[in-house]
Amino acid sequence: MNVEVAGVTRRFGRTQAVAGVDLEAGPGVLGLLGPNGAGKTSLLRMLATVIPPSSGTLRLLGRDPRGYARRKEIRRRLGYLPQNLGYYPGFTVAEFVEYFALLKEMPPAWIPGAVTAAIERTGLADQARAKLRTLSGGMLRRAGIAQAIVNDPDLLLLDEPTAGLDPEQRVAFRALLRDLGERATVVVSTHLVEDVGAACGQVALMDAGRIVFHGTPAELTARADGTDAAGDAPLERGYSAVLAAARAGAGARS
Amino acid sequence: MNAGEAGRPLGGFEGRLEAELVRVVTERGAARPGLATVTWQRQPGQVERAAGRLLRSPGLARALVTTPSLLLPWLISSAVVLAAGAAATLGTREPWVGLLAPVVAAAGIAYAYGPGIDPAWELSRSLAVSDRLVLLVRALAVFALDAALGLAASAASGAAVGITFGWLVPMTALCALALAVATVSRSANAGVAAGVAGWALIVLSEQAATGRFAAAVSDSALLLPYLAVTVICVGVALYATRIPREVS
Repeated sequence: MNVEVAGVTRRFGRTQAVAGVDLEAGPGVLGLLGPNGAGKTSLLRMLATVIPPSSGTLRLLGRDPRGYARRKEIRRRLGYLPQNLGYYPGFTVAEFVEYFALLKEMPPAWIPGAVTAAIERTGLADQARAKLRTLSGGMLRRAGIAQAIVNDPDLLLLDEPTAGLDPEQRVAFRALLRDLGERATVVVSTHLVEDVGAACGQVALMDAGRIVFHGTPAELTARADGTDAAGDAPLERGYSAVLAAARAGAGARS
Repeated sequence: MNAGEAGRPLGGFEGRLEAELVRVVTERGAARPGLATVTWQRQPGQVERAAGRLLRSPGLARALVTTPSLLLPWLISSAVVLAAGAAATLGTREPWVGLLAPVVAAAGIAYAYGPGIDPAWELSRSLAVSDRLVLLVRALAVFALDAALGLAASAASGAAVGITFGWLVPMTALCALALAVATVSRSANAGVAAGVAGWALIVLSEQAATGRFAAAVSDSALLLPYLAVTVICVGVALYATRIPREVS
């Protein structure tokens, strides 16, 4: 398993962002769904080793990220697209991707080819020499995805990767996700259930800092059977049914 | 693999729309010339190549020479402090700038980066080359450059000697100490703490030895020890950040 999470919590002051998550994931694409404030981004940031858990254990790519050397090994094989991608406006797309390839400690001889491939895979070949300040929001998002995949990561973490992408780009991106998921573990946090339906083999649904469902998209859809859950698509109805059941259960316990 | 294969296949209008988009994207992809033949490659400049050899890390070298929005403001502020320090020292006959500046620098290092400063801070927190190490190497480079400028100014005019010695040389040594402690202890906070504590120790021990509060920045006999500390600490930092052979 590339991701092993056991009893992980994360607290920011008085706010309990993640309240005891257990999760395992091997190669494939795992969609992380949930309403705003469910804890998806906090969980993803812990998986990206950006912040440590408040409690619980975390093993990534078979290693414990608490040790400096192990964390560095993980980071060399990690790709991460944060929700708010910061960028240096004066860099070109290629320079931006190369910069992060260097800081991921890729062997220098591999970098030109890897940068080229990442830019090509995200459809930015025509903009490779364009300054980031001149790009649209969707293109910046794709530049962010390019830096995340430049090292051909074994663990790829993407927070709202399709935000700002047009339908054509989203379709291309889903194909890229499926391709990456053949070998790597890809965790995608998203609000868009159609992305999950089209690209993810597994889906985890978070609410109030906990995972309230983990299964296939088909299993999530089936949760709506026999309910009057709201939604325009089958997956949305499954999503609503699971959330309603989880909240009813939480209400009954409190 | 079709669009809905990974999860549940999309049906109805949604499915047809997805299939049509897949077809369009696939056709466009086939029509586009392959980029594999147009490999992008940037040639590092001489400074970057030299820094890469010195630091034994192409990533650190790139981070050092690019230094987005950091290098120029830092150099300008260094020049301003140098000029203001010279004026204050000449006016009061007390080297207060030399005594206080290293502590200000340590605080500056601690606050010179973060989510509000570095646009890619969140991303840099997930990288193999530590963002804090990048910061400390940048700081060391700026101070070392300032020290070189100060020494050159001292060679040209005796008026710059006091400021150069009292401010830049000790600060460079303290920065190198902070870098070495940070890399060995793997904690930038420990590095900054070591820099501040080291400076306090030097100031107090020089006061005890000479009876003069400002001896740490006015005693020319300390020049060689400062330079020795700088060289040793840089060596320690380079050793601690070396690239393992199997990765290079």
